[in-house]
Formats: sequence, C-alpha cells, structure tokens
Amino acid sequence: MIKGCYFNGETSEKKDVSLSYTDEGYVAFDKSNIDYINFSELDISPRIGNTPRYIRFPDGSQFETDDNDAVDKMIKALSDDSFQGLVHKLENAKAFVFFTIATVVIFGWLFIQYGIPFFSKEIANILPEEASQYMGKGVLEIMDKSWFSKSELSLQRQNELRKLFNQLLNNIEGGENYKIEFRLGGKIQANAFALPNGVIVFTDELINFAEDDLEIAAIMLHEIGHLKNHHSLRSTIQQFSLAMFVMLVSGDVSTSSSVITAIPVMLVESGFSQDMETEADDYSFEYMKSNNINPNNFAIMMEKLEASFLPEYHECLENKKALSCIKEAVALNKTKKNHANVLNYFSTHPSSQERMQRFKGIQEK
Amino acid sequence: MDDLSAKSAINNKLFEFTGKGGEFFAIWIVNVALTILTLGIYSAWAKVRTHQYFYGNTLLDGVSFRYTANPVQILKGRLIAFAVFMAYYVSSTMSPIIAGGALIILMLLVPAFLVMSMSFRLRNSEYRNVRFNFDKSFKTAYKVFAMPVIVVGAYIFLLGLLENGMAVNPEGQAFFPIAIFVLVIAMALMFPWWEYMITHFKVVHAKYGSSGFTFSASTRNYYGLYLKMYGLMILIFGLIALSVALLIPLMNSGGDSEEMKAIMSLFIILLVFPAYLWVFAYLQAKRTNLLYNNLHLNDNKVKSELKTGYMFYLYITNTLAIMLSLGLLMPWAKVRTARYRASVTSVDVTGDLGQFTAMQAEKQSALGEEMGEMFDMDLGF
Repeated sequence: MIKGCYFNGETSEKKDVSLSYTDEGYVAFDKSNIDYINFSELDISPRIGNTPRYIRFPDGSQFETDDNDAVDKMIKALSDDSFQGLVHKLENAKAFVFFTIATVVIFGWLFIQYGIPFFSKEIANILPEEASQYMGKGVLEIMDKSWFSKSELSLQRQNELRKLFNQLLNNIEGGENYKIEFRLGGKIQANAFALPNGVIVFTDELINFAEDDLEIAAIMLHEIGHLKNHHSLRSTIQQFSLAMFVMLVSGDVSTSSSVITAIPVMLVESGFSQDMETEADDYSFEYMKSNNINPNNFAIMMEKLEASFLPEYHECLENKKALSCIKEAVALNKTKKNHANVLNYFSTHPSSQERMQRFKGIQEK
Repeated sequence: MDDLSAKSAINNKLFEFTGKGGEFFAIWIVNVALTILTLGIYSAWAKVRTHQYFYGNTLLDGVSFRYTANPVQILKGRLIAFAVFMAYYVSSTMSPIIAGGALIILMLLVPAFLVMSMSFRLRNSEYRNVRFNFDKSFKTAYKVFAMPVIVVGAYIFLLGLLENGMAVNPEGQAFFPIAIFVLVIAMALMFPWWEYMITHFKVVHAKYGSSGFTFSASTRNYYGLYLKMYGLMILIFGLIALSVALLIPLMNSGGDSEEMKAIMSLFIILLVFPAYLWVFAYLQAKRTNLLYNNLHLNDNKVKSELKTGYMFYLYITNTLAIMLSLGLLMPWAKVRTARYRASVTSVDVTGDLGQFTAMQAEKQSALGEEMGEMFDMDLGF
C-alpha cells in the first residue's frame, strides 16, 4: 500500500487515498471509483532526488506520493524494465559521483586548455583565405574613423620601411598578400596590429622611437607571425567555443551569477591570447635566427614599448625628440622594481620581462 | 459560524522548498558529466531533470508542482537555436551589414519568442494535476513591445545621422556625449513603464486551469520602485566616487606607484562589487514583491516578503562560495536561494485550493523557449 493523494485531472480537488497492487500487476485505490488498472498502462515519473512521484492513469487522473521507496518497490515487483531509475542510481552512488567530479574537472580543464585551442587552430587552417579577408574588411576604416589619423612620416621614410617589409616577405610563403600601413596612433600611442585580411598597421609613435630599422623588422616579423598562424580567425573560434562550453556547463545560471562566470572566462581568454602572442614571438625569433638578424632587436623594442607607458616619457616628448626620450624612459624603467602582478593573468600579452628574457637569453648563448 | 462564512474564510497557505544542497549536487554533477560526454545532447534532459527537482521540491499547502516538458522537444529547439546562433556569430565576424540585418530580424522576433517561451513554460507546469496556461496573443505582444523599440530605434537612427553630420563638421563632436547621456536618461525614465507593460502582459495572459490571473499593480508602483533604485544607485556610487577622489591624493603621496595602483584597483573592486550586488538585491527583492503581491487568481492573493538585506547576504555569500569552490557550490547556492524565496511566499486562499477546473492543452513547440535561452533574455516569471 502506498499513501498519497489523488487528483482527477478535471479539477484541482485533492483526495487522500492509498494505492494498492496485486502480484498479477493490477493497481487500485481504496476510496475511488476507478477499477483495477493494468500496471503497464501507468505512466510513472522517474525518481529525482526525494521529490514526489507522479503516477498518471490512462484517463488523465494522477496519483502523487512522497513515498519514493514504496513506488520503487512496486516497479521492481511489477516491471521488467532494468533501465528504470538508472540516472537516479548513478546520482546515488557516492563512488560514481566522486568519479564524475574528477572526470568533469579534469576533462573540462583539458578541453579548455588544449581541446579548444587545438580545434580552433585546425579549423582556422582549414577555412579558406576568404574567411579572413571578410573578417578584416572595414576594420581599418572603423579604426581610422575612431582612433587614427594620417601618418606624419615622410613619404621617403614610409617607402624605406615598405622596402624593408617586402625584403622580409621575400622568404615567406604567401607573403605577397600582406601589406603594411602607417598611421598616427593618437590615443593608441606606440603600437602595431595585424588585421585579419593581411594588413599590418604601424603607428608613427612606434616607428619614431626605433633607433635601427632592424628593431622595426623584429616587430614586423611578430605581426607577420600572427597572420601566418591565422590568429584573428582562431581567437574568434576560440571565444565562440568557450562561450558555448560555459553555457552548457553552467546551464541556466541566473543573471545574478553571470559575474561569476565572467571572471574565469576572462582569465581563460587572456590565457589564449598570451599563447598566441608567444607563438608570434616564436615566429619572429625563428625567422631572425635563420636570417642572421640579431634577436636582441626584439628585446630592445619590448623594453622601449614598456617604457613608453611611463608618464615621464610623455612629459619628455613635449620638448625633446622621441629617440632621446625613450632612452631616458628605458633607463628610468630599469631603476624601478618590477613585481609579478596578479593582474598579469588578466593581460592579453605575456609579461614583457618574460618575452625579453627569451630573446636576450638565447642571444647570449 | 454558519456554512457560508466558513467557506469564504481566508486561509494563509505557505510555500515551502524541501530540496537539499547535497542531493541537488549529485543531480547537477551527473548532469554536467553526461552533458560533456554526449557533447551537449544530454543538456536537454539535464534541464528537465533540474526543473523537475526544483518544481517537485516546491510545495504549496503540502502539494508539489510538476514540470512536464519533453526533453526531445527541448533538444530540437536547442539544435535549431544553436544553428541560428552559430550563423549569427559567424556572420557578425565577417560582415557588419549581414550581422546587423540578422540582428534586426531577431529583434523583430523577440516578442514572438517571449510569447512562445512563456507558453511552453506554463503549459508544462502543473499543480494538483491541473496545468498552467498562457494565451498566445502575439498581436498584443507586438503592441506592448513596439513602443520602446520604435522610440529607441528612432533615437539611434537620429544619432547615426548626427554622427555622419559630425564627420563633416568636427566642432559638433562635443554634442555627441550629450546625445548619449540624453538617451540613457530617457531609457531610464521609460524603463519602469516598459517593465510594467511587459509584466502586466505576462500576468493577464497566464492561467491556472481555466482561471485567469489578474494584476493589480499600476505604472505608478513601478515608477516608485525604479526612482528609489536610481536614488540608491546615485547615493552609493556617489559615495564611492567621493571616497576614491579623496583617496587618490593620499595614494600619490605614498611611495611606489605600481604597487599603489594595484592596491587602489583592488580597493575599488572591493567597494564597487558589493555596491552593485546591493542595488541588484534591492531591485530583485522589490520587483519580485511588487509582482507577487499584486498577483490574483480568482479570490486568492499571493504574498511575498523578500528582504533586500537577506537577498544581499545570499548573493554575496553565494558569489564567494561559488568562486572559492571553483563552481562546485553552485547547486548549494541555488537550493538555498530557492528555500529562502519559498519561505517568504504564501497565498491567501479564500475557501480552498480544490476549486479550480482544468482546460485542454494543445501540443507546444520548444523552439521559442530555447531561442530565448540562447540569446540570454531573462524569461523568468
């Protein structure tokens, strides 16, 4: 006998009843006018934790009970369906649950750390060149509109640099699709970008503080590294897959806790981005090594880029040339203590210290 | 007392949530594992199981609620939504024009999604073997949504024109931030009215069996709530801005700037995050109360007494617990939130709860609900 309540399905009226069953597979209530019903005609809800069970009858009426064990016993006695309650059994097996936690944590971590970057790389390499072309379309126009202005470099200087760029490209397969552009950075300051459609943009501010054109070449090679590895396409795919993954795992996390998923997502994305910077550094380094360019040029530029964020550098620029200012700034920067900062984990680039070490260290060997 | 007055006597029937953190944890972790192992296919079953756990543990007058959605139907919806989302995502990275067009079409479909989603959710909710229901009045949905969309759309269009004009005449650029500011203020002032319209729309089209819900709140209640919230926001963030402004000179006077900057940003995060949560808790508590306290079904009236302070305490402890446990305490957080919400909700019942009659329901498509979920709209009721 199973105690519970009965709802006829036509009104919300509740009747307290007991359900009983015979060994032959017939079910009936004590206080209702329902005749004996064959067990196979019942629709019994699966067990979910200790939530009430619902037994639906062919006429649409329903029996509700919180005596889960009694219902399970009845199913065991009358049904030969061995899959009944499988998920509930898994949920109740402590060993399985712990095994699952381990699996979820390890697989989740492996998938994010290696799976997503790997598949994104493969997909980015398979996709036709047009995909990148499409992505880059209009990006430079938008950047021109919102940040950049026309380069103030002389045409002669621009041509010199273009010549250098083309020289570098001579040894690079597919290099004929890459172009270089110069812009006055303004708010963007000293920087260089590789747009997905093969256009590399240098700001005047960066060109101005290079002493030797090989320093610029080192940065050009880094940007070419981004293009060669289809990094824009890859990061788009990575961000999309990560968003999908987080959505699947966290399920319907309410809006209040979206902050909670936002922070890990930011961490993982900056990790992805740092990996790609390192790849581009590798490309630049390998090229310089095999073409007898001193990799130290890259390290010098990294030092200068870092120093260019100092407020002292910008004060200095008001009355002196970029080249002498940057030298002062680099010297000043060296006197400052450098701490490993927690915020580094959120950064899109690996720390300049680490990057410089690689180019310098190998040079000294 | 005679029979008549006994029948119309008002009883306060309580809601109760009987779920347990540990129990739901097991359900959740198995859901996550099976979802990963099946590459997401199981997520539809996982969703149903989670809903069934929360519905089944929510009792009113000792009787549970039941969620009856079919996972296969949800899976179909999810696959279509996934395809649409994917197409949108890919197109948005390739061409702004295609993406813009797709976004406009999707925006135009939002009211329809909302109606379908509400309908799917309610028709799959049962209490005492009587289904909830939602009138699929698409026309009214479009009327309710049209106004704000038209207003904001027209404003953005004007702004676009203005920006193009400014490209020719750069002096006008100072005007641009003002235009944005006006838009934000206008939206903030329009929002309470909009929320009232949408809530009203949802409530009056909802049914339990054959009885329709009614809504007794007015636009004025919503303006009262939101103006208080804006005031609270200005007060809290004003105080934070003030204290930061006072601290900056202090910081600059003391030593190493890099380290100070890091401490400073940490300090701001520590101030802003709780402030944000407090405003969020305030809004959640008050608007839920406003909704439920004005919800009627025949002669029965819902009562909700959520407290901002306790909601804030729940949010902040949940956030910390989830962060420190790397997400493993999420089930616990959800269960305790549900328990608190149920504990402050009740229904003033006139007569008894056995008086409602059922209505025949037709088959539903899960598409609307899943599309809504993928695009992260808050469809919770």
